[in-house]
Amino acid sequence: MTPFQINPAPPVEFLSVPEIQPFTAEPIRYVGEDGLPVHPLPDAYTPERLRELHSVMLRAREFDRKLITLLRQGRTTFYAQSSGMEATQVGLAHSVRPGHDWVWPYYRDHTLALALGVPMFELISQCLGSNSDPSRGRQMPHHFAARKQNFVSISSSIANQVPPATGTAMAQKYLGTDEITVCTFGDGATSEGDWHAGMNMAGAMAAPCLFVCENNQWAISTNLRGQTASENIHIKARAYGMPGFYVDGNDLVAVMEVCTHAAGWVRAGNGPALVECLTYRVGSHSNADADAEKHYRTREEVQEWLGRDPIVRVEKLLEHLGHPIESEERSNMISAVHREVDQQVIRAEATGQPDWRIMFEDVYSDMPAHLREEAAMLRAEQAEQTGGDRK
Amino acid sequence: MTATQEKQSLPAATPETRTINLITAITEALHEEMERDDRVVLFGQDVGARGGVFMATAGLQASFGQRRVFDTPLSEASIVGAAVGMAVRGLKPVAEIQFADYMGPGFDQIISQAAKMRYRSGGQYTAPLVIRTPSGGGVKGGHHHSQSPESYYTHTPGLKVVMPSTPYDAKGLLKAAIRGEDPVIFFEPKRLYRASKGEVPGHDYTVRIGEAAIRREGTDLSLIGYGGVMPDLERAADALGAEGVSVEVIDLRSLVPWDKELVVDSVQKTGRAVLVSEAPRISNFMGEVAYSIQAAAFDSLLAPVGQVAGFDTPYPYVQDKIYLPGPNRITAACVQALNY
Repeated sequence: MTPFQINPAPPVEFLSVPEIQPFTAEPIRYVGEDGLPVHPLPDAYTPERLRELHSVMLRAREFDRKLITLLRQGRTTFYAQSSGMEATQVGLAHSVRPGHDWVWPYYRDHTLALALGVPMFELISQCLGSNSDPSRGRQMPHHFAARKQNFVSISSSIANQVPPATGTAMAQKYLGTDEITVCTFGDGATSEGDWHAGMNMAGAMAAPCLFVCENNQWAISTNLRGQTASENIHIKARAYGMPGFYVDGNDLVAVMEVCTHAAGWVRAGNGPALVECLTYRVGSHSNADADAEKHYRTREEVQEWLGRDPIVRVEKLLEHLGHPIESEERSNMISAVHREVDQQVIRAEATGQPDWRIMFEDVYSDMPAHLREEAAMLRAEQAEQTGGDRK
Repeated sequence: MTATQEKQSLPAATPETRTINLITAITEALHEEMERDDRVVLFGQDVGARGGVFMATAGLQASFGQRRVFDTPLSEASIVGAAVGMAVRGLKPVAEIQFADYMGPGFDQIISQAAKMRYRSGGQYTAPLVIRTPSGGGVKGGHHHSQSPESYYTHTPGLKVVMPSTPYDAKGLLKAAIRGEDPVIFFEPKRLYRASKGEVPGHDYTVRIGEAAIRREGTDLSLIGYGGVMPDLERAADALGAEGVSVEVIDLRSLVPWDKELVVDSVQKTGRAVLVSEAPRISNFMGEVAYSIQAAAFDSLLAPVGQVAGFDTPYPYVQDKIYLPGPNRITAACVQALNY
């Protein structure tokens, strides 16, 4: 295989028997691509509930679209979209008790953040690096942290969150809480040493950690086949003594059911579990990778997965249940999200950008002499440039 | 409890000042901090029943149980990573990395997670953990049991880096590290574990991270070091003292933050400085000290700042003794500064 050869992912068959068990050969599915349940839906999935979940998915999708626009306008500098992965992230959020359980996310998890109730204002503030950013403008865009939701600060370093997630779960166990930790990552992360180290430790320590692989099949330009010779990701759980579940990551109901089941297993004190959600990154990796189809994957492959759109699937299901979302209602919902984003952007921008002083804070719990010296130097430089120190 | 564990159990602490060695000081600090604070947990490779390969955690599992003192899989990345995750959730983890030479697999966890958690989250999350690790040479360990990698860690803002050389400092600094709110990389000069003996008070105390100590006062030259080389600094100062040279010996104790004020004051008084550490010279932390001395005390200097360091070779096995600075090389560097 030459490095430039486009190597499409093998065709995927889905397991249409929605029996939740680990190590299935095919992803577990509840609702087909045509929106028809392949199995009677659990009672909890009333049309009202599905509409509610649909609105969360649509809000995240439109957030993506609006933020890409902001990026193109030069108002933010980086963005990692999760379009096409909404069922995975919204479905996963359903198994987390926000502000009670802990989450060590990865850098493509804004849909998860929104679904857990992190205010859009905070996410936008982070993307803009404004004064209203709870992380104080310290990280590149799309690296969120939200204290209230126990949504731990995101590292760009791949799989870096896996051993710490294990540690948080160990602490939860040590403290005798009923909390669990949820740790997310992409498929590429499973090649990293930290991933294996953290998974192994979690197994050995029986840490209450739910590991969730958002397998979108592309790590920038390397697809799953280039990542591992393993037939899939979830099977690796066996090596660490935990169950590995395989789910259709574009089927909201299936993700919710499987993640809830796996989280229940973890919560019951059985140790960790792994869920692999098979989904697809329909967009580019980031703005640094603007035209994926030009370089490393086919438009046909993307088209095929666009045909499996997780939001459309919920809409088809609602239609089947006799509660369709009419097109006018849908466009009103979209306009409402766009307005919401616009308003939050204006609000965030109005708070201004952190000044130079912020740079020296939070390095340590106190400010050592060398940082005070450096801050004094910068203060003088700033004063010279602005014709007088503002304070 | 196994027979070994029973044998390792600590004698009851006495209120009087006692003379102990450095490793006992470490064990006592851990014991007392675990007694004081339930959130302190101890883990690493072979730290439980075995008590650590150097016996720094001897008896602690017997005293506090396997819940608080436990062995982990053989994986530095997950030991450090777990410490980060525990600290973020509110524990006070003290992780042991068996040798500083093996911190490599945990390096990313140290520099990307531990060091940056407070900063990158705007203070929403913090990772106040302690990583204890034996470092330095002189034990015939070849390069994977002898290196002095502290400079790597001093180059990462967000970490505090300390290296004691006396039992008093080891105990006081370790307690300060555990009680602090920042990640601390705690290097223990392994050749001093049993060689360094000294008094510790019976009462509870801490040593502030960031403060150097003047081991002896002098007027002709400031001899500055930290960690395993300190006894050699004393020997060199003795030799020079016998020739009528008054040497001020300073133990940095903390590298980040380091006590620039004390060092600069000393050099302004003596006019000469020789810096000693056993790490390779290129990008050695003492380069920072030398820079700071010349920047702050240039007019006081009577000679160029001298430096004695390890050689820029991988740490050798057979030449263990001649690789290390040693009192003769230190004395020669002092003489050079005095004769400038």
